[in-house]
Amino acid sequence: MGRRIFVLVLTVIAVFGGARLLRAEEPSMARDLTATIALQGMPCDKVVDAKRNADSDYTVSCKDGNHYHVFVDSTGRVVVKKL
Amino acid sequence: MSAAVQRSPDTMQLPGLCAGYVRRLEASAHTMRPLIIAGILCFLVLIGCTHARPTVPGAAPTEPERAASQTVPASASGSATPPSETALPAPTGPAAAEPDNGSKTTAQSAAAGSSSRPKPKPSTLKSPGNAPAAAVGSSAAAAAKPSAAPASDTSTRQSTPSSPALDLRALEQRLKETQAIGLFTKLSLKNQVDDLLNQFRAFHGNQGATTLAELRQRYDLLLLKVLSLLQDGDPALAAAISSSREALWGILADPVKFRQTVI
Repeated sequence: MGRRIFVLVLTVIAVFGGARLLRAEEPSMARDLTATIALQGMPCDKVVDAKRNADSDYTVSCKDGNHYHVFVDSTGRVVVKKL
Repeated sequence: MSAAVQRSPDTMQLPGLCAGYVRRLEASAHTMRPLIIAGILCFLVLIGCTHARPTVPGAAPTEPERAASQTVPASASGSATPPSETALPAPTGPAAAEPDNGSKTTAQSAAAGSSSRPKPKPSTLKSPGNAPAAAVGSSAAAAAKPSAAPASDTSTRQSTPSSPALDLRALEQRLKETQAIGLFTKLSLKNQVDDLLNQFRAFHGNQGATTLAELRQRYDLLLLKVLSLLQDGDPALAAAISSSREALWGILADPVKFRQTVI
């Protein structure tokens, strides 16, 4: 009985710890996209949603209601287009 | 002695009062042990999670780094002399001998390097007055008062960190290696740096109508962007860039150094 509880607790820890690690990656990407949009001189206070279309290609929704298409073009330039 | 005498009746009474409770505790200790171990493990994992968060290098700077990051902006805004002195490797002639101002020395060396272009030289001298950035304003103040108190110069020299000024290659490498900014941001910054370098190339090649003052404004703006991106995630690199501001400008504005390092 005690061993079962022990295994259960460990499983819960592993699941929540993994989820926490996965969630930790999201803000860094959102911050990256926020900084990228800001570097291009476009307004975006905070990225609330980023949908990945392809490699280096995102559709971004900002908290202030702006939507952007952020991608890297064929010449290697980061392009931010307002949608 | 009297305490032992007083305690002994209590210990004699204890089995009588709590014997059942103690027995139940002993019996439940075997069943509780895994739970206690699990709780300790849980606690350890939670501690690990809380300590795993600031993994960004430079997020928790050491004391010297923190001190450097605190002193560098003040010295950069106060006077631009020490970085340019440390970074410019004393080329030749009077420009090297004059420890006054970065823009002034670059103007002189530019005059020595290209005498066929008289137009940008006055703009170099005027550039600090036009530029809105703080460092440009400070260099304007330094240019306006060339003999401003040698005692204050020595004090700013003492307050500046001993880290060597970055050149363009080192800056590029450190920006590539830092984890304070993401991949998109790095690529976007690289685009903007390349654009600025192309503008400098055109300026030094006598192409285009961009003046050195405008280039200085763009350079300061780009540096501000970089610093604002780095100041939280990598304060050490931000401090290094901030202290290398005039040295980098010296490389970019001087056609000879620009050709040697960039082209």
